[in-house]
Amino acid sequence: MNGYGGSILRVNLTEGKVSKETTPSDVARDFIGGRGFGIYFLLKEVPKGADPLGPENKLIISSGPISGMLIPGGGKCDWTTKSPLTGGYASASMGGHFTAEMRYAGLDSIILEGISPKPVYLLIDNDKIEVRDAADLWGRNTFEVEKHFKEKLGEEFQVAVIGPGGENLVPYACINHDYGRQAGRGGVGAVMGVKKVKAIVVHGTKSVPVADMTAYKQAGMALYKACKDAEGLKDWTRYGTTIVVSWCDEVGALPTRNFSAGSFEDGKNLYGPVMREKIVITDKGCFGCPCPCGKYSRNKKYNNYVEGPEYETIGLMGSNLGIADIEAVAHANLLCDDLGIDTISTGNVIAWAMECYEKGLLTKKETDGLDLKFGNAEAAFELIGKIARREGLGAMLAEGVKRAAEKVGKGSEKFAIHVKGMEQSGYATHNATAMLLAYMTCDVGAHHNRSWAITYDLQVGREKVVPEKVARVIWLQNFRPMFDVLGGCRLQWVELGIDRDLYVPALEAITGIHRTWEDLDKVGERIWNLTRMFWIRENEGFGRAWDMPSPRFYEEAPTSGATKGQITKLEDVNRLLDMYYEQRGWDANGLPTAEKIDALGLRTVVG
Amino acid sequence: MRLYVDPAKCSGCNACRVACSLNLFNENNPKKAALVIEPRFPEPGVYNVKVCTQCGDCAAVCPTEAIKKDERGAYYVVFDECNLCEACVPECPEGVMFVRAELAPTAWKCDLCGDCVAACGTSALWIAETEPAA
Amino acid sequence: MPATLRLTASLKKMLNLQDEYPAEVGESVRAALIRVGIKPELVAMVSVNGTMETKDYVIKDEDVVRLLAVIGGG
Repeated sequence: MNGYGGSILRVNLTEGKVSKETTPSDVARDFIGGRGFGIYFLLKEVPKGADPLGPENKLIISSGPISGMLIPGGGKCDWTTKSPLTGGYASASMGGHFTAEMRYAGLDSIILEGISPKPVYLLIDNDKIEVRDAADLWGRNTFEVEKHFKEKLGEEFQVAVIGPGGENLVPYACINHDYGRQAGRGGVGAVMGVKKVKAIVVHGTKSVPVADMTAYKQAGMALYKACKDAEGLKDWTRYGTTIVVSWCDEVGALPTRNFSAGSFEDGKNLYGPVMREKIVITDKGCFGCPCPCGKYSRNKKYNNYVEGPEYETIGLMGSNLGIADIEAVAHANLLCDDLGIDTISTGNVIAWAMECYEKGLLTKKETDGLDLKFGNAEAAFELIGKIARREGLGAMLAEGVKRAAEKVGKGSEKFAIHVKGMEQSGYATHNATAMLLAYMTCDVGAHHNRSWAITYDLQVGREKVVPEKVARVIWLQNFRPMFDVLGGCRLQWVELGIDRDLYVPALEAITGIHRTWEDLDKVGERIWNLTRMFWIRENEGFGRAWDMPSPRFYEEAPTSGATKGQITKLEDVNRLLDMYYEQRGWDANGLPTAEKIDALGLRTVVG
Repeated sequence: MRLYVDPAKCSGCNACRVACSLNLFNENNPKKAALVIEPRFPEPGVYNVKVCTQCGDCAAVCPTEAIKKDERGAYYVVFDECNLCEACVPECPEGVMFVRAELAPTAWKCDLCGDCVAACGTSALWIAETEPAA
Repeated sequence: MPATLRLTASLKKMLNLQDEYPAEVGESVRAALIRVGIKPELVAMVSVNGTMETKDYVIKDEDVVRLLAVIGGG
């Protein structure tokens, strides 16, 4: 099949058996790849009520038609599962080179099923596919295991590996690859860990078939030219996502001390140019990317190497913890990567714990003697280790901020910053209603990847609650994750501003199927509704209450910074939801109506 | 004329190698490319890149004269005339003469098409007149 | 050569502006933005000749001031 690796690999871990089937052409036609394949298999094959950490849950890893191709940003694979963090839909996007190598091994999806009786790793070398013993790798950190495989098998092998975080089933454990890329959020690492899969190593030497080779080369080169001609290319490449640290600080979006404010008085020490000068050595990118965002760094203060920190980690483990030292943030980043836990959730949970401590809701005894004040980087480092190993205070924090706050109570639930149980990522939304709505309605929980709308908020008027803002969020939610479906990255469009129509002839030349962006946005809308249906199916009573944000964003105006004194009203939070549901074609409780399901042709998928 | 590289600018993306395999073999398979990217991670955290300097040492030893020179001074392999003897491989000072029989029934090398330069987003590659040897 | 303000594609499209505007030597970037009709807070990054600067940077002769808006975020 043109544009595809050709096969779905099933790994039955309970029995230690592997099998391959031809990728169904109707699934490829309707779901395209990546995240599309993820939701298709999740709905079809994971039974209702499955325990995320039980044998019935599956971990679905999918590349897409642009993965491994001459297409800017063709370097991402999607990891979909039922989330042990939220009990709902999890979909994490991993960059690097893994997705390309999957394609060269002829694979569109890898589906991990069941639970292995003992630790194993999956070896894929073209058509040689084996489940192998991993007893001597279990317990080891991610960097050393990746290095082990690179030395043993050669640099052409690509490695995805979990650390102690995943092995210890931390619900926000991640999967690591290429010394700095992650399938980060929603606990995909814990699902891999409970299945006792330490690593997946893949190597392939096959060529990817395309429908029209001449048109493909032409369209691909046109995309690269557009990226290279983009006005901001060199600036973006120089700083990566750290380019916005100063601006977020300026407009009150930089999460500070557990999202109590949007500006950090010591923020200057975390800005992009400071980091570049102090620690960055290489602009490291994913497969096929002309604008590498990765900032591989040599941390002189702590004598180690890390890819990062990028914006999210600077926000969540820097300003959000009251830490102003970029090298301390880089060290925290490395600790999380090596142990295999998501930096965003980890930073968010530690910030909550710091606020508890400063408010006397956690005593020094309960913090294992740590003076857990905002700004105490050494305490944060220790806590990262404890979380990954579920030791001491780490055992409670490892459950995630929602469950930890339920345990501690005493009003701490009010400053547990999450939606649907997923810790909010790096934008403070006290007075930015489109972005607030984006976090409320994101399909995996409080993550910014689907819809990022802060500049739009500033353009229209940050406090305004108007239908255009809702329409904008919906358009972004249908469109942005289509890059996850295609098996690539959205940042070439997002950051360089290239014309998205340039992808259309490329996609047609690769797959042989003509699709406009109108067609693709429709696929995006279908997938959006399917992920919503998954939440409904798996969570009794799922509805509007699950879309509500943390009370901090409608009760506690910041007392300092760019958004001092500014807060969203609860009635506006509800108005945003009302407009959102209406525009989405959902009922007042946020459930897709029967008409909507039929209009999108989803009856066959959801029944 | 020859290809030049500044490895400090290389991000390891491999777009050059995809473009190269498309040019040489009309296939999307960067393992059939004629330049080498060596990741050196976790330490020292850089990419080492090897490109053909068009020195001609490979052509000098080819027993079937399968490696010819074009009007720009670039050496290229005529696939049909290669007998896979591999005499050329150890001659190459940069390690960019390739024989992998499981991938192709011929040796291959850089033919200075320039597609890699066009695909490189960080401008790490460029083509210029060959500097005289020191 | 006079100093210039260069807008990235996203900023241009967002505000329906030109590729380039002349900048006045001696004015701050912030003042230049207001003069051209751009709300300063919409500009996420200012680079002068390739290096990131703040909006208080005072423009010098021959400076190329690149203005980036983040319409898509992360």
